[in-house]
Amino acid sequence: MSFTITDECNGCGACVKFCPVDAIRGEKQEVHVIHDMLCIECGACGRICPVEAVRDGEGNRCVPVRKSMWEKPVFNHKNCISCTICIDACPVGCLALARLPTAKDPHGYPGLKDEKACIGCGFCASECPTDAITMAVPEIKVKRGAHG
Amino acid sequence: MPDAYMGSILRVDLSGETISEERIPDSIYENYLSGLGLAAYILFKEIPAGADPLGPDNILGFVSGLLTGTGSLFAGRWMVTGKSPLTGGWGDANCGGTFSPAIKRCGYDGIFIRGISENPVYLYVTGEKAELRDASHVWGKDAVEAEKMLVAETGPRSRVALIGEAGEKRSLISGICNDGGRIAARSGLGAVMGSKRLKAVVLNGAKRIPVHDRDAVHKLSGKCGQWVRMQSPLIPGGMMAYLGAFMRFLPVQMALDGMLYKMFLRKWGTGSMNQMSVEMGDAPVKNWLGSHIDFTAKKSAATNPDILKQREIIKYHCYACPLGCGGICSTKGKYARTHKPEYESVIALGGLCMNNDIESIFYLNELLNRAGMDTISAGATVAFAIECYESGVITRHDTGGLELTWGNSTAIVELVRAMIRREGIGDILADGSRKAAERIGGDAKSHAVHAGGQEPGMHDGRDDPGYALHYSVEPTPGRHTIGSFMYYEMFQLWKVIKGLPRIWPLYMKGSKYTANKKKAVMGAACSRFMNVVNGAGLCLFGTFLGAKRIPTFDWINAATGWSRTPEEYMEIGGRIQTVKQLFNIKHGIEPNNFLLTGRATGDPPLVEGANAGRTVDIKGMIRDYWKQFGWDEKTGKPTAESVIRSGIRED
Repeated sequence: MSFTITDECNGCGACVKFCPVDAIRGEKQEVHVIHDMLCIECGACGRICPVEAVRDGEGNRCVPVRKSMWEKPVFNHKNCISCTICIDACPVGCLALARLPTAKDPHGYPGLKDEKACIGCGFCASECPTDAITMAVPEIKVKRGAHG
Repeated sequence: MPDAYMGSILRVDLSGETISEERIPDSIYENYLSGLGLAAYILFKEIPAGADPLGPDNILGFVSGLLTGTGSLFAGRWMVTGKSPLTGGWGDANCGGTFSPAIKRCGYDGIFIRGISENPVYLYVTGEKAELRDASHVWGKDAVEAEKMLVAETGPRSRVALIGEAGEKRSLISGICNDGGRIAARSGLGAVMGSKRLKAVVLNGAKRIPVHDRDAVHKLSGKCGQWVRMQSPLIPGGMMAYLGAFMRFLPVQMALDGMLYKMFLRKWGTGSMNQMSVEMGDAPVKNWLGSHIDFTAKKSAATNPDILKQREIIKYHCYACPLGCGGICSTKGKYARTHKPEYESVIALGGLCMNNDIESIFYLNELLNRAGMDTISAGATVAFAIECYESGVITRHDTGGLELTWGNSTAIVELVRAMIRREGIGDILADGSRKAAERIGGDAKSHAVHAGGQEPGMHDGRDDPGYALHYSVEPTPGRHTIGSFMYYEMFQLWKVIKGLPRIWPLYMKGSKYTANKKKAVMGAACSRFMNVVNGAGLCLFGTFLGAKRIPTFDWINAATGWSRTPEEYMEIGGRIQTVKQLFNIKHGIEPNNFLLTGRATGDPPLVEGANAGRTVDIKGMIRDYWKQFGWDEKTGKPTAESVIRSGIRED
């Protein structure tokens, strides 16, 4: 089920900027609309909306989260089989495979190539067939708390 | 809501520049799966009888797999399908990389393209729209360069399948490339894309792929992944030649467990077999006339898998692959990076031409990948030309001054360049050995080794007659990726399917060469199973793990919500085989004409080497194989009864 936007929307356009599939349309200062056939339910619009105008697929109000506190994937390379499913699952393309710096292992392992681009959707973790990815707020940000 | 499949296809008509979406009924997926089966169903129905493969009526179908994107491992293969200009019959080619999930992430199970565009175009598809765009700026560029340009203009998540110079020039041995020089090489479908003036298909979608029970799929994948990671220390690469020689001396055949081959693949890739295959008689040498006595272990030492591995910068994993048999290598000269040459390429451009200059093999592999020309057919056609030159059928005048002798790597490189550019003798050879022999005339025909116009893969049917059988009976002849005795041993289907013969660890080598019902049952099982595998989008190398270790059928059930038995899936595989054969009959193919050239089945037999004195009873094996499908045993044509029994509706 697609996410939706209620008429509480103030038309700030923040969600448009973060939607990875260009599913949100609307004029500035006017109520925006999510195209239900395009929405992939990543939740980025809900996390960024400052006026809580976004509802998830089940109609629940989405609570905004400061961007620095968005969860990011943490990789457990012991479980990882380098299958690259996570890289393909990422709707913004922020993951990449690279050899581990110290190991002799010639296989590459996934990591966050572009941390800023990550929208914290968690698709990489949910599609990982070996539970090698967990989503967590980056430690340094947790320590700094909401001011991070 | 469908599960595992997207339930829609995209249709493009390049002549009318129209694009539309079509819902596919669930019953089609239930009867044909997705991928190859879906394409076979659509193309059989829609390509008119006698259509020119390079004309507007031919349909080029890009399909993903049923299991692609569901969390199943090894499910990253896409296929391109159409009427083959090389054989005149059913054509398909298979490739990995990242293009398969990209099709589904745009919301489709397949993209089917007909018509001919007036000007070079590329098809751009996202989850929202599909449009044709001008491709004049990338026309003429090689596949790697053009892919980079198209990704730069459409976004970093774009996935591209495209042709190189060979496809643009309609070489009948050209394929379709993706991911920096991987290639769906066989059946000549690059020429079909070139004839349509379609440079590329660029996909940039991010749709989610529905799965019935993702946790169940993941559970199965987790277990399978553990088998893949299991790796024991192996002998050094240089010892592989001696292992091959040891197997040549043994009077008995050891049934191969795919776990051993898996370990070779994980360590070295397909190149693990480079020397071993020559020594044991699996690799054809000197255009199928030679053996390890001509191409000695000393000569083939340059292709020692350890030497190739030294160039490896990082392993290459296709989408959903835990194995990583590919590699990105550094190379000397013009190209800094290249995909590691596969076994097929190393033998076709190496031993088959008596060439042991590894630098030339690295260079030719990259050159052909960029041009989008099949390394198997290109190498085999070069070997054909060398034999013609050595036997006086063509002269130095014909070759434009090239000294086309066995193993002359400088001349081989020049010849391949000429084939890609279609210059001089290259123009004569650019459509494969059968066409070249027709053009040259005289005795040339006797030097061309092919099945129905397609050069066979680099596995010798005189060593494993299963290959010779599948080269000759498949609707896509000459293919080494469907079946052989060794594949049957590794698939271990008898462990999950009732009634299939089990193979004991040791059996007498001599027993391989005679035709009997057991071999036909094994052959038919390979064909049926590979249709399921190609409908699911799985990788052949994954299936080598063995049916108990790779849960093909359980994955499909978990991902779709169906609850079918392996036997029912094999029935679907049989249905797909019959549709492909009916496609060929519709287009005027006589299945008997796909018979592999005599010398490759030991007619006449070799006088020395691992396969000396061996002749395969190929006609007997073919007859028995066709009986397994209920087809006419003399003509290979499906009977009315077998069509009804397989559940194909003539609508």
